[in-house]
Amino acid sequence: MRRLVFTAALGLSLSFGQQPPAPENAGVLKDFETRVSGYMKIHRAAEADVMALRKTGSANEIAKRQADLATSLREHRPAKQGDIFTPEIAGEFRRLVAVTMKGPDAARVKKSLKSAEPVQLSLKVNDTYPERAPLQSTPPTLLMNLPKLPPELEYRVVSRALILLDVKAGILVDFIPDLIK
Amino acid sequence: MRRSLLSILLSAFLIGECAGLVALLSFSAAGQQQSTVVALPLKPKSVRFAVFGDNGTGGPEQYEVAQQMVRQRTKFPFDFVLMMGDNIYGSDTAADFRRKFEDPYKPMLDAGVKFYATLGNHDNPNQRLYKPFNMDGKRYYSFKKENVEFFSLDSTYMDPQQLAWIDKQLSGSTAAWKICFFHHPLYSDGKFHGPDRDLRARLEPLLAKGGVSVVLSGHEHFYERLKPHQGIYYFIIGNGGQLRYHDLKPSPDVAKGFDTDRGFALFEIAGDELYFQALSRTGEIVDSGVIQKVVATTAP
Repeated sequence: MRRLVFTAALGLSLSFGQQPPAPENAGVLKDFETRVSGYMKIHRAAEADVMALRKTGSANEIAKRQADLATSLREHRPAKQGDIFTPEIAGEFRRLVAVTMKGPDAARVKKSLKSAEPVQLSLKVNDTYPERAPLQSTPPTLLMNLPKLPPELEYRVVSRALILLDVKAGILVDFIPDLIK
Repeated sequence: MRRSLLSILLSAFLIGECAGLVALLSFSAAGQQQSTVVALPLKPKSVRFAVFGDNGTGGPEQYEVAQQMVRQRTKFPFDFVLMMGDNIYGSDTAADFRRKFEDPYKPMLDAGVKFYATLGNHDNPNQRLYKPFNMDGKRYYSFKKENVEFFSLDSTYMDPQQLAWIDKQLSGSTAAWKICFFHHPLYSDGKFHGPDRDLRARLEPLLAKGGVSVVLSGHEHFYERLKPHQGIYYFIIGNGGQLRYHDLKPSPDVAKGFDTDRGFALFEIAGDELYFQALSRTGEIVDSGVIQKVVATTAP
């Protein structure tokens, strides 16, 4: 029952073995959800100012519109690290990630991370994810233990950091350093 | 004689292994097993396609593989191509798309061959919007050809929503053959990467439950056909442009490996039979075989 209440309150999908948040941290994750919603409002406003990405046979159009969206987002959101991953939210994410990285699936998840071409990057909010750097895949078990995101955003691993990536614009929204251990 | 041999092999598989959904009737490869290449039969109304992965380098080897595919297509007219990801390495400007996709495959594109892509770890996720990749703007999608349904997954980001999607799609599919393709292999004997074990733990039970017969992947820069797991045949075809020379390690899990040149594979599905050939850049057939779909029977 408690699990259901949290699911409804946070709008999360806890199927496939996702871990519910610790009751005392529900407010922290609610704050995360609010900040993500706030980001998405900015994303939509930024999107409205430029030509929308759409299905096309022109690779040039995709590249240009992605770059335009990234520029528009930077203008709408002069952000810094921690705007979404506040210290409290980062703390709860550390707990959630530790559930995966120290639990019964830990060895498997660590091997999965190693097989996925780990990358080393210098991270800065609002920077474009370098097109020459591979996107390290995020282990499914890790994703199961993290709050659900809108389709425009993804959790990605960069070395030991967890980043929040705007996949349409290709820019770094926020990150928690030194999280994956 | 050949029919008898096939019957014996099939019986041996069913008795000695398990009553899986599919059985390998026979296969052959240079220096291994039988000496005869299993031909692609070109049966009427069969589903014919080619597969390659890790191709988008823009290098001369990618072009040579493409030229070999064009040559093979004169003998085996396939209608579409499955791309296993890493479609465009490095930068992805319009010039890159030309050099790494549009130019090498121009003869096939001009002939109306459709390309269906999946995302690799070197791909910009917005490639899903590029119409010639036929992804319909989606990270994961499915499409049907006759009695075959193909499911393209985004193995770089297998979130709970995608797992729920594939579970539902497979449960609802009435296709005789269900084939999944995605970039990261669930099984691999590559020294450099190896299998994605966490992806396997989460995905394979859904594929087995959903009646998937064949899984195609890339990521590893070689060709490998693995012995079946849970009734599923796994192929790695990640040498369409890249090559990691001698990267395969010896393993009892390898049914056939090829890690000394680039290449691609051809498939033909006719009724309950799936024929395959893996070819090198020079046109040498390095593996071939036929997989028979076995109708599951329940003991009285």
